[in-house]
Amino acid sequence: MGAPFDISFVLSFLPKLLSTLGITLLIVVCALVSGIIVGFFVALPRLYKVPVLKNLSEIYISFFRGTPVLIQLFLFYYGLPEILKLVHIDVTRAPVLFFVILTYGLHTGAFMSEMIRASVMAVDKGQVEAAYATGMTGFQAFTRIILPQALAIAVPVFSNLVLALLKDTSLAFTLGVMEMTGKAQTLGALTQHFIEAYLALALIYLVISFTIEKLLLVAERRLMRHEVRDNPEKRTFGIQKNKSFRRIIAELESGKGGVGL
Amino acid sequence: MKLDPSFIWTAFVQLLGAVPTTLYITVVSVLVGFIIGTAVALIRIYKVPVLYPIAVAYVTFIRGTPMLTHLLLIYFGLPVLIDGLSAYFGWSFRSVNMPMIGFAYISFSITAGAYMSEVVRSGLLAVDRGQIEAAHSVGMTTPQALRRIVFPQALAASLPNLSNSVIGMLHGSTLAFTVSVVDINAKAEIVASTNWKFFEAYVAAALIFWGLTVLIERLTAVIEKRINLYNRGGVV
Amino acid sequence: MIKLSNISKAFGRNQVLNNINLTVTKGEVVVILGPSGSGKTTLLRCVNYLEKPGDGEIAIGDFSVNCKHARKKDIHQLRQKTAMVFQQYNLFRHKTALENVMEGLLVVKKIPKEDAKQRSIALLEKVGLGNKLDAYPSQLSGGQQQRVGIARALALEPEVILFDEPTSALDPELVGEVLAVIRKIAKEGITMIVVTHEMGFARDVANHVVFMDGGVIVEEGTPGEVFNHPREERTKQFLKRITPELNYSI
Repeated sequence: MGAPFDISFVLSFLPKLLSTLGITLLIVVCALVSGIIVGFFVALPRLYKVPVLKNLSEIYISFFRGTPVLIQLFLFYYGLPEILKLVHIDVTRAPVLFFVILTYGLHTGAFMSEMIRASVMAVDKGQVEAAYATGMTGFQAFTRIILPQALAIAVPVFSNLVLALLKDTSLAFTLGVMEMTGKAQTLGALTQHFIEAYLALALIYLVISFTIEKLLLVAERRLMRHEVRDNPEKRTFGIQKNKSFRRIIAELESGKGGVGL
Repeated sequence: MKLDPSFIWTAFVQLLGAVPTTLYITVVSVLVGFIIGTAVALIRIYKVPVLYPIAVAYVTFIRGTPMLTHLLLIYFGLPVLIDGLSAYFGWSFRSVNMPMIGFAYISFSITAGAYMSEVVRSGLLAVDRGQIEAAHSVGMTTPQALRRIVFPQALAASLPNLSNSVIGMLHGSTLAFTVSVVDINAKAEIVASTNWKFFEAYVAAALIFWGLTVLIERLTAVIEKRINLYNRGGVV
Repeated sequence: MIKLSNISKAFGRNQVLNNINLTVTKGEVVVILGPSGSGKTTLLRCVNYLEKPGDGEIAIGDFSVNCKHARKKDIHQLRQKTAMVFQQYNLFRHKTALENVMEGLLVVKKIPKEDAKQRSIALLEKVGLGNKLDAYPSQLSGGQQQRVGIARALALEPEVILFDEPTSALDPELVGEVLAVIRKIAKEGITMIVVTHEMGFARDVANHVVFMDGGVIVEEGTPGEVFNHPREERTKQFLKRITPELNYSI
């Protein structure tokens, strides 16, 4: 199975793989942006308990969380053109990348909506009451009081979702998109040095994951600067405990628990 | 190519044959992953020397890279390792004797182990310190306290995450097609390409996965209700 | 003048407030007493519509809201005429003490930033927190947080400040500092409605005491009347139960 292991191939593969990093990141960023927008609109009916729309949101979330992203990729790639054909829209010539970004966007959107909902609901009810008591309108209370606090709460989950999305994009090769994983496969087949190719691939993913995680940690610290850290006083123990617990939970509860395909 | 709704049912029936394979992969990886994960979590909580940095590196690597790369690395790397060792020690076992699904079992268990360790760790950390102190105060040893007091509470606390992990592994098992294991996903591809009905086949596959996922979620809810009987606090 | 007329409120089948009438004249300090579950906090929260009354009318000055058909605009206006100090302080967690006090001035009253800042600093100094302007709520003790909460309410220059058990969540040793601040502003002639369990405080700060039980006002009068010569049996029972606290005064 392949040529004997040679570490120098790992190094020579790195720049070749990095040349396709752009595609991977393009998918991640586009899917992320559309995911946030979709997530926001899916979360709203559930937050404000809008009848019918709320149920539709729930079905949407259940489906995208309930099926593997790989299946979703195939479903949209093969299904969307056929369904649109029924209403006489021809997308058979649309680039594969379009279907890939669409799928990942909708997939991430389901998780984003859960993140948004959970974060907004995690903001203390007293905060909203205080905002109203101060004389703010509902809109002012949402944008000035709830949103900034919800944002801080959401960051750990968001970080997790970005990492999951990054890792999920490794499946885009199944539709023939030449992103990093696809490139690694090509390089492996070309040189018969598969192990080296996949090691180099794993290394790059690792570095990107690590960087994203650290960046978002910095963002979280900034957004969370209003919460006391490392206060030795016993009184704040409750907050401290909640916070660390929240972080750990957030690292998992995105529902992308063991996924990260 | 025209949409053929009735074929969804045909495909559905054909895909059912591949459900056991998917379930085998999921169950094996979850069970082995849970054992690995518990060990790794305890190593990290008790900061066992030597093993601690290894555990951290393992979790970081697995969580930082796609599951697909784990599978590919095992698939291409393990045979080299096995054959090398066999040649060295003169064993008769060769990697070609290994069934393909073995690679999926091993690789997915390693993946699950890292994620499970985080689940177990968060569950253990969620248990109040006072619980262990109380256990010690009535004369229990640390292993007794862990087994009788901490683990049951940790299990209850981590049930939602555990369920998410199982679902994650169920969905992750679709990667098995890369090592030619015929799970639901691979079967869908076969059914799709032999009948030239791709969309219908994948709709059927999606429905099966959706159903299985909802089933896992429902089961979790039932177990959670039972396990959390003691937990009915007055906290709103 | 604040006038509550025929206020009723039910949670499901549970009638929490039953036809409450209460008049508060300008500059008066009204203390509402009563056992837990008597509806006193609900009544207070109805005044600024954090709780939606089922029926009745709320009038502040010549502005009035009919609870049967209150419009969004009315509720908003009502809230601008009132301010509230919460049991759990409810300071905006992501804002400093100064920003908490400024928030209403900037967003609701639309006062220029520099002006708002000066006024807020003056108020924080008044409650004894001139040295904590840039502290976040999580860095303040409960007593300090509640004093910021009072400054935040004062900043809005409302017609009335509603105090919802302002010292109940505090450690005993921090109660005094908060009561001292409330006492100080009471002397300045600011209209207040206070729900509290601090009998000593009620006795010497209130102009008017209201005793509630079971969603109705059982008895009301001057502190002297209600505390020393209660007419109703329920009031006597309640006061007897908390007598040890009666002697406790700060």
